[in-house]
Amino acid sequence: MKPGAGIQYAEDRDSKKSNETITLAVAGNPNAGKSTLINSIAGTRLQVGNWPGVTVEKKTAFFEHDGRKIKLVDLPGTYSLSPYTQEEIIARDYLVNEKPDVIVNVVDATNLERNLYLTLQLAELEIPLVLALNIYDEAEAKGYRFDLEALSSMLGVAVIPTTATKREGVKALMTAALAAADSPRQSIPKPITYGDDIERAADAVVGGLSAEIPEALEQYPPRWLALKLMESDSTVLERLGMPADSRIVADAVGHLRKAHGDDMEALLADARYAQAAGLTREVLKKPDIRKRDLTEKIDAVVLNRFFGIPIFLAAMWLMFKLTFDISKPFADWLGAMISGPFKRAAEALVSIMQAPAWIASLVSDGIIAGVGAVLVFVPVIFAMMFFITFLEGSGYMARAAFVMDRAMHAIGLHGKSFIPMLLGFGCNVPAIYATRMLENPKDKALTALLIPLTSCGARLPVYVVFIGTFFASQAATVLWSLYVMGIALAICVGMVFKRMIFRGDAPMFIMELPPYRMPTFRSLMIHTWEKGKHFLIKAGTCILAVSIIVWFLLNMPWGVENKKDSYLGQVGQVIAPALKPLGFGSWEAGSALLAGLVAKEIVVGTMGEIYVKKEEEGEKKEAPPIREELAGIVTSFGEAVKSAGMNVVSTVGIATISSDESEEKMAERMPLREELQKQFTPLSAYAFITFVLLYMPCAVVAIAMRQEFGTWKWYGIAFAYQIVLAWVVAFVIYQGGKLLGLGG
Amino acid sequence: MSPLAFMAEGEKAEIISLRPRLEGGGKCPDCMEHLKDMGLRPGKQIEMLTNSGGGPLLLKVDESRIALGRGMAMKIYVRRESL
Ligand SMILES: Nc1nc2c(ncn2[C@@H]2O[C@H](COP(=O)(O)OP(=O)(O)O)[C@@H](O)[C@H]2O)c(=O)[nH]1
Ligand SMILES: [Mg+2]
Repeated sequence: MKPGAGIQYAEDRDSKKSNETITLAVAGNPNAGKSTLINSIAGTRLQVGNWPGVTVEKKTAFFEHDGRKIKLVDLPGTYSLSPYTQEEIIARDYLVNEKPDVIVNVVDATNLERNLYLTLQLAELEIPLVLALNIYDEAEAKGYRFDLEALSSMLGVAVIPTTATKREGVKALMTAALAAADSPRQSIPKPITYGDDIERAADAVVGGLSAEIPEALEQYPPRWLALKLMESDSTVLERLGMPADSRIVADAVGHLRKAHGDDMEALLADARYAQAAGLTREVLKKPDIRKRDLTEKIDAVVLNRFFGIPIFLAAMWLMFKLTFDISKPFADWLGAMISGPFKRAAEALVSIMQAPAWIASLVSDGIIAGVGAVLVFVPVIFAMMFFITFLEGSGYMARAAFVMDRAMHAIGLHGKSFIPMLLGFGCNVPAIYATRMLENPKDKALTALLIPLTSCGARLPVYVVFIGTFFASQAATVLWSLYVMGIALAICVGMVFKRMIFRGDAPMFIMELPPYRMPTFRSLMIHTWEKGKHFLIKAGTCILAVSIIVWFLLNMPWGVENKKDSYLGQVGQVIAPALKPLGFGSWEAGSALLAGLVAKEIVVGTMGEIYVKKEEEGEKKEAPPIREELAGIVTSFGEAVKSAGMNVVSTVGIATISSDESEEKMAERMPLREELQKQFTPLSAYAFITFVLLYMPCAVVAIAMRQEFGTWKWYGIAFAYQIVLAWVVAFVIYQGGKLLGLGG
Repeated sequence: MSPLAFMAEGEKAEIISLRPRLEGGGKCPDCMEHLKDMGLRPGKQIEMLTNSGGGPLLLKVDESRIALGRGMAMKIYVRRESL
């Protein structure tokens, strides 16, 4: 078949009417800059969903450009369109079945040959294509010189150099993409030619298909289909319901097999790769001398066999310290806002509406105390998300996986499993979804079982309250110890599971380490927001609901005098004896832990509700006039910004969860801390936060596990082992600590 | 010819073959094909960046840094320049 004969299949592609939506599919290698490019085109209009049937993230954006309606689809990053990974199958199915109007192929200009290998496969789909030669700035800085016109005419498509991070070339790219949608036939790339032998065989397959299953030729690009059948592509064979040794194909490739051996797939792949290499030689001039680049210099240190793991641990410690130094002043400010002006405003509103007393109590003791206690930690959570985003975006995350691979082998996993676990430090829910990057179902299940041991952002509020109350002077270290304990226990538990449930060899490890790059401020902000907003949503929905339920459970039977006799208190009393050997056998702790089954930050919210004291009528301070109130909000925020800055500058200054304010003022703000001082010792407080770290995955993780695996089994196992583990570890800490004379 | 895993840090070599999946089989039948898609193909010049005797290896092909497990590195054969 002659190249270009496929135009027949594309014949029904008419140019778009001006009011029709144009679908642009963005395809390219991982790390070629697809997301950055899409963000710079569509900004925050991105919608994140899932690809049907799988939990790979699907990002789409709808917007208008030059008066045209546009739908932008971010395909998963792939190296090829062969069906070896889930990403490849998704990308290919989308392109073949949905037939987008234009493919925007994002190509990493610093790694042209490998990227063009994918481009040449995209070119066989007979879909109009424009090529974004991205990361052009780095390529130029390396002294690369491109012959853009030659590249464009050899591929038969528009080639636009872009620098997505600086938004350079993005306008031209959009113009080219719209032009391609308007004149599709001129924008379908030239397919590569494989030489007479293969072309003849492909022709024969198309001929055979048109005689026996002509429908297939309407559904798929004929030449592409023929080539895939010659490669015995398992997915395509399955979709067509054809056997691997079907006569149509066997007849056509018979003589090829004789001449080149049995592996048709390798033959075609080699031909494509040779073309990609040839193209690259023709259009790219590289300077003769190659400098050792920054990435190699950093890697020589960071991946060093002796320093690798210590550097990783130090990086984590620094991350936690900065998280606190930066967020602390804002958390204080927010706390003061919620318990001050905000609470006063809400109370004023309730009294204006002349609501009954119980409603007033529900609002201020239930909702504001409960949700407020959690909202205070939004700055901490966002700061943490910011640093995790930075680790991801800079390229260090992949190194952490590399460094940890050996340790992970001990538990029957490889380093790649460490990435979902690291993401778990932000939130366990996306971490569970991230396990899909692991090819092997056994790896996936084991990783998902261990993820709840990585301490997520939702547990931070609990730690912060207790650490701030009992360990203010060693805050960062105590906090770090909890995270390290989580990792260490994950390793131990993994070893046990490996022997009990997941017997077998260690899996394969393949991963590309991207070059180190400074993430742009814009992308840091967008991704931090995407990760952090879940907490805001959670605070507004789930935690709000639970706060209200907890308030009712604390105030029922109706009019109960002592919270201890309320429903929640009664259940707390039942659990308390089981927690006594751990050092926190009070009904308050039991009740709070129970409420925390839904989401761990609720532990703090519930404690806030339980311990909150009825203010005496006389004690109530007069609310200051509105203008003063607003001025106060602004100036105190300014102070918070200042001290956050100071905290970062003074790297020597130890993380300050304690603050320099007078004790009095602290107590006024934080009645909870005062109460905790009475109920816990430092030792039992540490046992308590350890228990919170370990005691079970939250309800949202349960749903995520159910979605990802299609069964409750793994959640059940996680739930059971974690309860036992939490109890045992807290017991050892508390009783061991007492034996060592650390006080009871 | 020697397995990739035997290369020293900083050493350069040319890839001769990746053991095809028909034999390698088992846990990850397509891993070798995936590696080829990532640019690790016969005929390519590679440089060993990290090989510390245990744990995974890191090598450079063109402009990519690819980390892979030792087990797989035993199934990839190279022609070392120094031998
Ligand atoms: N210097 C430079 N870096 C870029 C450019 N485009 C993307 N990057 C960076 O490359 C990395 C990967 O980009 P990303 O959009 O996540 O790639 P994706 O995997 O294709 O979605 C990020 O650190 C980006 O900041 C560019 O044009 N120039
Ligand atoms: Mg992306």
